[in-house]
Amino acid sequence: MAHPSTSSHNALAFYRERIADDGKPRPWTLADLEAFAAANPGDRYAGRVSSEARPKLSMQIEATAEPPIWMALDSGELDKWAAVLSRIYARWGCATGECIAFFEYGSSPLVILSSSGYVGYLKRGAAERLGINAICNDGVAAMAPRMATIVESVKPAMIVLRRDVIAPFCSAIEMAGVSLKGRARWVAVCDVDGALDRDETQRLASTLGVEVYRILRADAAFLLAGECPDCRLFHIDAAYNVEQVSNGEIAITTRFAKTCPAIRYNIGAAKLERGGCAKAPREWRVEL
Amino acid sequence: MRESAARVESRALNDIAKQSEPFDALDRMTSAELDAWWARRLSAIYKVAARELPFYRERFAAAGFDATRFRSLADLKKVPITRKSDLLAAQRRIGSNAIGIERVSEPSKDHVTLSLSSGTSGTTFVTHNRRWRRMQGLSSSRGHWWAGLRPGGPLLMSAPAWHSYASIQPNVAMHFEMPCVIISGTYLPRFADRIVDAIQRFRPRFVTMFLPMVFSILAEARRQGLGEELFAGIESMVVTGAPITPGMRMHLQKLTKIPRIAEIAGSSENLLAVDCPFDRGLHLVFDTCHAEVLDRQTNEPVADNVRGAMVHSMVIPYGSIYLRYDGGDVGYIDHAPCPCGVPSPRIKLLGRAEDEFTLGSQAMLPYDVQLALETEVPELGGATCVITREGLAAGMLRLLLIESESSSATLVSAAREKLVHRFGVQVEIAPVRDLPLRFKGVPPILSEREASAPS
Repeated sequence: MAHPSTSSHNALAFYRERIADDGKPRPWTLADLEAFAAANPGDRYAGRVSSEARPKLSMQIEATAEPPIWMALDSGELDKWAAVLSRIYARWGCATGECIAFFEYGSSPLVILSSSGYVGYLKRGAAERLGINAICNDGVAAMAPRMATIVESVKPAMIVLRRDVIAPFCSAIEMAGVSLKGRARWVAVCDVDGALDRDETQRLASTLGVEVYRILRADAAFLLAGECPDCRLFHIDAAYNVEQVSNGEIAITTRFAKTCPAIRYNIGAAKLERGGCAKAPREWRVEL
Repeated sequence: MRESAARVESRALNDIAKQSEPFDALDRMTSAELDAWWARRLSAIYKVAARELPFYRERFAAAGFDATRFRSLADLKKVPITRKSDLLAAQRRIGSNAIGIERVSEPSKDHVTLSLSSGTSGTTFVTHNRRWRRMQGLSSSRGHWWAGLRPGGPLLMSAPAWHSYASIQPNVAMHFEMPCVIISGTYLPRFADRIVDAIQRFRPRFVTMFLPMVFSILAEARRQGLGEELFAGIESMVVTGAPITPGMRMHLQKLTKIPRIAEIAGSSENLLAVDCPFDRGLHLVFDTCHAEVLDRQTNEPVADNVRGAMVHSMVIPYGSIYLRYDGGDVGYIDHAPCPCGVPSPRIKLLGRAEDEFTLGSQAMLPYDVQLALETEVPELGGATCVITREGLAAGMLRLLLIESESSSATLVSAAREKLVHRFGVQVEIAPVRDLPLRFKGVPPILSEREASAPS
C-alpha cells in the first residue's frame, strides 16, 4: 500500500502545506481543497499544478462550486484515465460494434474519456479501445424524451445515467413504450461525487429489467471505479494506490496523475478488501 | 498621448490585413475555380452515394438521376431534394438511426460517435467516424480562422454534447495547438457562473458561445459585480445558435466591449457558414459544404438576397452524408464577390420554416420583427422580447418587451406606431420585468404562460 514519493510534489502549495511528520501529505477531502482554493483565489488549480505547467486539458471539478476549482491533465494522462474506464466497461460486458449512450453532461469525465471525438488530445477513448460507438445526450431532465428516442432508434447496449435524470429517464421510456429488457446489457449510474446506494440501484434494476451497476466517482482524484457484477464491491484499478488511513477511511493516490497530482485523496469511511473476487483475484475492493 | 490620424489609419489597415490573411491556398481560389472544385467533389460524392448508400440509391433511381452524368453545378437541379421528414420516415420504417446515408468502415476499424439534430422538428441522428471528425475539424478550423481565431490562448469547449460541434471543437483546438478548457455542467443559464469563472481564470482570446448563453453570462457577471472587464483580452466572440441582427451585434459589442462579434451559422447536419473577416456576411465554409437557396414550392433557385429554403450538400464522403438536404432553414445567399477574398458565397440563416407566421399578408420570421424593431427605433437594438402566440392567433403582433432604460415608455410608444405602419396590423407592446434567459437572442414565439415561466 505504498504511495509514490512525495518529494516531487513538495513544490506544490496544496501538498506542501499538508506534509505531516512522516513526510507524507495528510489525506485530504474536497472540503480541504475548497478551503485552500478560498484562501488562494489567484490559483485556479488550488495549489495542485505547477505554475510552469502548460497542461493540454483543464477541467472544472463539477463537485466544487464555491469556489470552482480546476484540475489539469496532459495527453498521456488522459489516455491512462480512459484506459481505467475501458477496463470498467469491459468487466461489465460489451461487444465490438455495440453502442454506449450517455444521459450525462458532455463535460463529465465519463463522457469525455469515452471517445477522442469528445475531447482534444485524447488518443484512444474507452469506447475506441473496446470497438464500441458512443452517443451523448445532455444530462438534463428536459432532454429525457430525446433519450427515449435514442434508446428506440440507436438501441444502445450500454447506458450511463447521471443520478438526477434517472427519474425523468424512466418516465420518458415508459411514456414512449420502450423497454430496456432484452435490449440493453447494462445501465450504469453515477453521481457528481461518490456513488449511489446499492438499494437505490437495485430498485432501478427491477424497474428497468436490466443489470444496473454503480460508478464510484471522485473527479478531484481522477478516480473512477465500477461495481463488480460478482461481488458488488467497487474494484479499484491498478492505476490507483489505495490505503486505509484512519477511522476506517480510505485514501486514494492516482499513479498516472503527474500534472495535477492526486495524493491520498480521502474517499471517506469504507470497507477495504484485498483480493477475494473471482473477477480479479488480486484487486483491492471497497464498499462505501 | 493621442494617436495621430495617420497612425490610427495605418493600424486599422494592418488589422484588416491580418484578418484577411488566408487560412490556406483554398481561400484564394476564384469563385469560378471554387465552382469547378465543388463540381468535382459533388460528382465524386454522388457516385459514392449511388454505389454505397441505399437511401440515395433508391431516391436517385426514383428521380431518374444518373450520378455518373453529373458534370457541373448546373446539374444540381437533377438531384432529388431530401427533407428532414424523409429522414424521419426512413428512421420509422427501418426502426433504426442508420437509414442508409452513413458511410463508415467496419466497427473494428472505425470508431463512430453519433450526434443529434436540433430536435425542433423531430430527432434524427448524425454519424461521425474518424475521417468525418478530422475533415470537419479542419474545415471548422478554417471557419474559426475567418472569425478571428489565432493560435495562442486556450479554447473554451462550448458545445453541448448532443451537437455535432462537440465532435468538431476538439479538432479545432488541436489544429491550433490550443489547450482545451472543459467547463462543468452544460450550456444552461444556471451554469453561467461556471463559464464566468472559466473566462476569468483562463482569459481566452477567442470565445464561441450560444447566443442565449451570452445573456446569461452577462447577467451572472452583473450579479458578481463584474462589468465589461470580464471580457478584457477577448479579441473575438463568436455567437451561434440564432441569427443575429446588426443591432444585436452592436448591442453585444456595446455590452462586452469585445472588438469583434462574429456569427457562426449552420446545422448539426453539416451546413456551416462563418462571418467574413471583413464582416460582410457569413461565407459558406466551402471545403465541407455547398449550399443553394431554393423556392420551396418550385425547388428552383431564387435570386441572390431573396429568401428561400437553404438546401445544402456535403462535399466530404464520410459519416452521415447529406445531399441536397433541406433541413428546414430559411435564408438567402449572395454570390457577389467579397473584398475579403474568400471565394464562397455568403449566406444568412434567418430562422426555421416552422417558425414562419403570417402577419397581415406577409410571411415573416421572428428575425424580421427584431430587425424591424431596431430599424425603426435604433435605441431598441438588442432589446429582448417575445412574440406571443395569442397575439398571432388574433391576427396582431403582440410583443412582451423587457423593461430597461433603453425601452422607456416614449420609445415603446414610438416603436408601436412605427411597427403598425410597417406591418399594417395592430401592434401591442407590453413591458415585462423579465423573460426566461434561455429565450434571449432572437424573439421566440411563445404563449404568455411559457414566457412567464422561470429560467
